[in-house]
Amino acid sequence: MSKPTNLVLLIDDEPKIRRFIRAGFELHGGFTVQEAEDAAEGLQAATFNAPDLIILDLALPDRRGNEVLDLVRSWSNVPIIILSVEANEEEKVRLLEAGADDYVVKPFGIAELIARSHAALRRYFKSEKENPVVVAGPLSIDLVNRTVLLNNNQIKLTRKQYRLLHVLATHLGLVVTHDQLLDDIWSGSVRKNIQYLRILVRDLRQIIEPDPNHPRLLVTESGVGYRLQSRIEDITLS
Amino acid sequence: MILGGGLPLAMSLALVGAATIGLLLIGRFFPANLATIVYLIPVMVAASWWGTWPAIVAAIASAAAADFFFFPPYYSFRLDDTQAAIDLLLFLLVALVSGDLASRLRRETETLRRREDELQYLYGFSRRLAACHTASDLAEAIQDYLSESFGRHTAFFLSASTTASQATIAEAAPAFIQNKAAAMMKPDGEQSCVIADETGKSLWLLRTVVSAETVHGVIAVDIGVEPRAAVDERTRRVEAILSEASQTLQRLDIGGAMQEASHRLKDQLLRDAFHGNLSHELRSPLAAIKGSASVLETMPSIKDENQAFPLVSTITGEAARLDSFIGNLLHATRVSASDIRPHLSCADPRDIVNAAIVRRSRQLAAHDVKVSFDRDLPMVNVDSALVEEACGQLLENAAKYSPQGSTISVTVSPEAGCVSIAISDRGVGITADERAQLGQRSFRGERHRDIVPGAGLGFWIASTFVSANNGSIEIVSEGLGCGTTASITLPEAILDEDTGSNDE
Repeated sequence: MSKPTNLVLLIDDEPKIRRFIRAGFELHGGFTVQEAEDAAEGLQAATFNAPDLIILDLALPDRRGNEVLDLVRSWSNVPIIILSVEANEEEKVRLLEAGADDYVVKPFGIAELIARSHAALRRYFKSEKENPVVVAGPLSIDLVNRTVLLNNNQIKLTRKQYRLLHVLATHLGLVVTHDQLLDDIWSGSVRKNIQYLRILVRDLRQIIEPDPNHPRLLVTESGVGYRLQSRIEDITLS
Repeated sequence: MILGGGLPLAMSLALVGAATIGLLLIGRFFPANLATIVYLIPVMVAASWWGTWPAIVAAIASAAAADFFFFPPYYSFRLDDTQAAIDLLLFLLVALVSGDLASRLRRETETLRRREDELQYLYGFSRRLAACHTASDLAEAIQDYLSESFGRHTAFFLSASTTASQATIAEAAPAFIQNKAAAMMKPDGEQSCVIADETGKSLWLLRTVVSAETVHGVIAVDIGVEPRAAVDERTRRVEAILSEASQTLQRLDIGGAMQEASHRLKDQLLRDAFHGNLSHELRSPLAAIKGSASVLETMPSIKDENQAFPLVSTITGEAARLDSFIGNLLHATRVSASDIRPHLSCADPRDIVNAAIVRRSRQLAAHDVKVSFDRDLPMVNVDSALVEEACGQLLENAAKYSPQGSTISVTVSPEAGCVSIAISDRGVGITADERAQLGQRSFRGERHRDIVPGAGLGFWIASTFVSANNGSIEIVSEGLGCGTTASITLPEAILDEDTGSNDE
């Protein structure tokens, strides 16, 4: 990380949720947590305190969480992770398209939230630092030289396979929506079809996954998109 | 005849008198054959207002008055002229025939109006019936309907098996009627009877309302005290309408209707509650519990503490169980609300099965889950989230009904135009009888009800979700103790020629 401690702005109206998230982050180390109990307070803190990460609950008393997301996104690229009780896929996709970096569905364990936070921070600071090599378990992807090593052996990928891996690697640990991937990989092409993506993913898994039938690197977010795990252990979260 | 007694007759005579006075005022030398035409007016009026007999009386009185006042010799009933006699006879004939026609028309109009009223009542009744949620609502509606359509005092007794609150409905009826109704409600009681109260002031007709074997209640109608013939007539009418009403009630099937209504009400409440705030209200505290426990688990002081750590794990595990239970209820309310709108799209069956296993990892922890995918699996065209949930439910059932440590095998293979996901356990198996009942909500095998926890929602949710995806579920068991295989069959996705990944 580029700073010794990251300032996390936590916007949630429930004190008990704030309490455990604060405890979790502080216990983990490397984070300072600032709490806001409603949208107004949260927006003020986001403006004046320049947080490194915002954790935003969707159900706020004074304003809908997605409005807060839109407002912050109108002037800042700060990573935002959404907390929601709604596990509906369309809602998740909408939030991601509106600029959320990731989401966590309540109830969740603190490990999941911290993992997502690290991933979002990594991506945010990565673009500034321009570290060209992304490591995901046994994979290391050189974004500048466009080479991929699997267990230190270079592997050969098709152009689209590489493009898919590249997009996921730049969002390491974060979910990338189907539409985002389709736009990125088939840019300029007339027809965009999720079938193409499914087959491309299946083929890429044959190459990079130790067991393609039980993918643990390139994982599916049902109804939403795909996620490249930063470590192979991250598979079971709940 | 609407008005009894002599009043209509007197009124008809009065009309004839009025016509006579009118004619006399206009002029004594009014032509006699025109006078008879004027006399048709009271006859028609009497016929259309009061019916046949007043019309006949009016006709005869008119003929007499015409003879007396307008046919020479005047002020005498004698007729010298045969032509006058013929005129008068002709008038009488015309008056009688048109009087009869008019009265018949009146009767028909009346019948029509009555039918319309009855229809109105019936319509109002059926609307009220549709809004009934409790037994007493229903009984009140029936009672009101009968009272309105008979214009008499009516009481409806519901049998004790249907409701316990019958007293409030029937309290208006005298005690002896209540006793008689109670006696008739017994399985071998009378179907119908007429009884008089002690004072002899009123007669009550009682009739049971039955459908199939069950007696739903007794309808009692006060038919009043009138001359024997009138009572007989009324009894006949009441009997006819009661039998019709009781047929209607049987057709409606009170018991079924009420059960249906209460189910609908419960479903509605559950649904509204869940779609509204309840799931949020339940999940928010759960989020605090699970989150706090997850922080405790990572604390060094807890992690190394032999007694505290298992306790924290229990909190985490039970919170997860509660969460999956809330999830099930949410799915169940969606199913009962028919609120399932699958978003079909191309999906990899491997992803669906793997996600279902990961999500149920806690429930499957005590089993050895073996998954095998066919090498050439086509994509399927489904709503992944729904199918994943259906697989999860079947996996959970497999784990529940098979011994710990046994193997659950999941085999995913292509079939003609489909992909089959077969989940086999080495468990208690299932009987043909149980299989027949599987699709019902809340069905749970008798044998396991006491030993295996659950609400019996799993298979119901799974089968509904799978059929929403144009798929099917088949349950096969070799018999008791030989394990069960649940197979989900899903439609294959039709792939375009150009798969888009040919980029070399």
